[in-house]
Amino acid sequence: MKIRSDVLRTYQSLHTWTGITAGLVLFIAFYAGALTMFKPQITQWASPSSVYANNTPLVEMDTLIDQAVMQYPKATDGFIVNIDDQYSSLSWYEKGGGRGLRLDDSLTFAQRDDKGNLVTQTSDKNALGALIDKLHRTGGIPGTLGHEDIGVLIIGVACALYFIALVSGVIILLPTLVKHLLALRTHKGNKRFWLDSHNLVGVFSLPFHIIIAWTACVFAFHDPFYGGLTLVYGDQPLFESQPKSTISYNVNSLPVIQDYLDHIKVVAPNYQVRSLEFSQLSTTTPSLAIQLASEGAMKRGAVTDIIFMHPYTFNIDYSSLNKVEEGVFGPLVNSFFSLHFGNYAGNYGRWMYFILGLLGAFLFYSGNLLWLEKRREKQPQQRRSVRFMASLTIGVCLGSMLGVATTLSASKWLYLFAVPINQFYLICYYGLFFAAIGYSFYRGGAGAAITLLHALTIACLSIPLTTLIFSVMTNNATHSFDNNTIIVDVMALFFAMIFFIAAKKAKYRAFNGERNSIWALEVKDSLPKQIVLAPDFKD
Amino acid sequence: MTQLNPNDKIQPHWWSKTLVAIVMGLTLSYGIVAIFAWFGPGGISAPMKVQLNMWLISAIWLPILAFIYLFKSTKSAFISMALINTLIYLIFSGLWWIQ
Repeated sequence: MKIRSDVLRTYQSLHTWTGITAGLVLFIAFYAGALTMFKPQITQWASPSSVYANNTPLVEMDTLIDQAVMQYPKATDGFIVNIDDQYSSLSWYEKGGGRGLRLDDSLTFAQRDDKGNLVTQTSDKNALGALIDKLHRTGGIPGTLGHEDIGVLIIGVACALYFIALVSGVIILLPTLVKHLLALRTHKGNKRFWLDSHNLVGVFSLPFHIIIAWTACVFAFHDPFYGGLTLVYGDQPLFESQPKSTISYNVNSLPVIQDYLDHIKVVAPNYQVRSLEFSQLSTTTPSLAIQLASEGAMKRGAVTDIIFMHPYTFNIDYSSLNKVEEGVFGPLVNSFFSLHFGNYAGNYGRWMYFILGLLGAFLFYSGNLLWLEKRREKQPQQRRSVRFMASLTIGVCLGSMLGVATTLSASKWLYLFAVPINQFYLICYYGLFFAAIGYSFYRGGAGAAITLLHALTIACLSIPLTTLIFSVMTNNATHSFDNNTIIVDVMALFFAMIFFIAAKKAKYRAFNGERNSIWALEVKDSLPKQIVLAPDFKD
Repeated sequence: MTQLNPNDKIQPHWWSKTLVAIVMGLTLSYGIVAIFAWFGPGGISAPMKVQLNMWLISAIWLPILAFIYLFKSTKSAFISMALINTLIYLIFSGLWWIQ
């Protein structure tokens, strides 16, 4: 396809500059987003099974609730019933509760012992999965503006740039699309190889990327967008407001759990109830949030759909399920959410989105490498801007992953010491992240890449190793962990292998690759004389 | 490829074109969404439609932002966007008047 040369030049510049500005923060958002596909498994891997205490049969649940409400004033405000296939659990917030992520929330789990007495255990609510999710939404940028995270707004702007980068990337590829799309030229030098793989991944995951760019932009800016819509709607209200009730209720008149399950079976026949969260039970505004799962349905939430119900009257205040009376608009809007979360195709969809997310991270990483390669000069010392960008790319990308991998691996060990677990996660992540960036600037990108990739290999290896040690060594009940999270160990092992190979390649490139490159390292005399100067490929 | 007359070539004008796309692209998006919201299927009070309308704003705005650089200059981008904006808001007013 022929395209005017000035159009190509314009969009080439656009692609370069939107990509390089948004690339790093999007790299973090994408790989962390890929990990959130396995958020429940990761949280479960990281926290002891005693924390969940899923060992009350559903038939005993009402007796347990009655006992808890009698003895614990906190439980009269509200409680959570997690429902699992065989056993369920009862818990309530000892501290915190409600929407949003707080690191010092603690939950008390209750169960009955053999004699039917109430036994409770209070511990910090494990937020590892939620923190990875926050890393995905904010890129790890802290701070809030009003009630919105600054990081979310920055990611929102980055997504607009990313949309421009997608459009411009396709435009500059059009003239050679048919000829070169499937050509992965390995013999024409490193730059060609990176460019070909960048293009291949970009074109084949284009629909996914367009959806993600658009939906993430909406997630970041929906409040201002609604604000503008009030002008369009004029006197017409955007949302119907619920009439306020003045009737006060008492927890003692709460229906039994089975009543709710029976009711849900009628309202949502194809869904399984995952949890019932009661709150403000003794006020005029009692609420019950019901999480509903269904493999394969397009769901509004990341993992589940949700129904908000009045716990005493069963009146449904809000439901994210598709409803017939909402016509075509409800399902359409729900599908946008679902297409972002990738929850519409069960396990298959989860893996597909996991892979697409990682490929997205690769897209941004390779984009930065291409930017550096394009500015390469034929001399050993590269330009200052290039050295800066190389250090930043290596430090941010590898440092962020090192932070997450190490935090995950440290979790089981941290439970051995009575520390505020969630705060330690943050210290661990940010400590390593900034240390890696500092180290990368101190040593330069080429050297730091090798060290950090080795560190990543060790961090990933330590994850299955930790599982192994804990499954053999501990017979202490409070520190035993579920063994059904093997998927986390297998994935960690796989990534350890990838990082090890990458480290080897980075080392080879540093000593045996192109000399006039940002990635070359000075060869010390003590090294064996195996160095062959690679021919200088012309593009 | 045929040689372009230098006067026909696209001028970069990065910041000014971006500004035109951000401001006039947004007003245009809201204008189109307003027509859809009031006069599209279901009318203004159809359930869940407000959410779809919110989603549509960026679905129109983002492509404008991406394609604004095809205009030869800021001036031509500004004039075209002003014309399309006027047209859309005229259509909205016309529909409002005849309803």
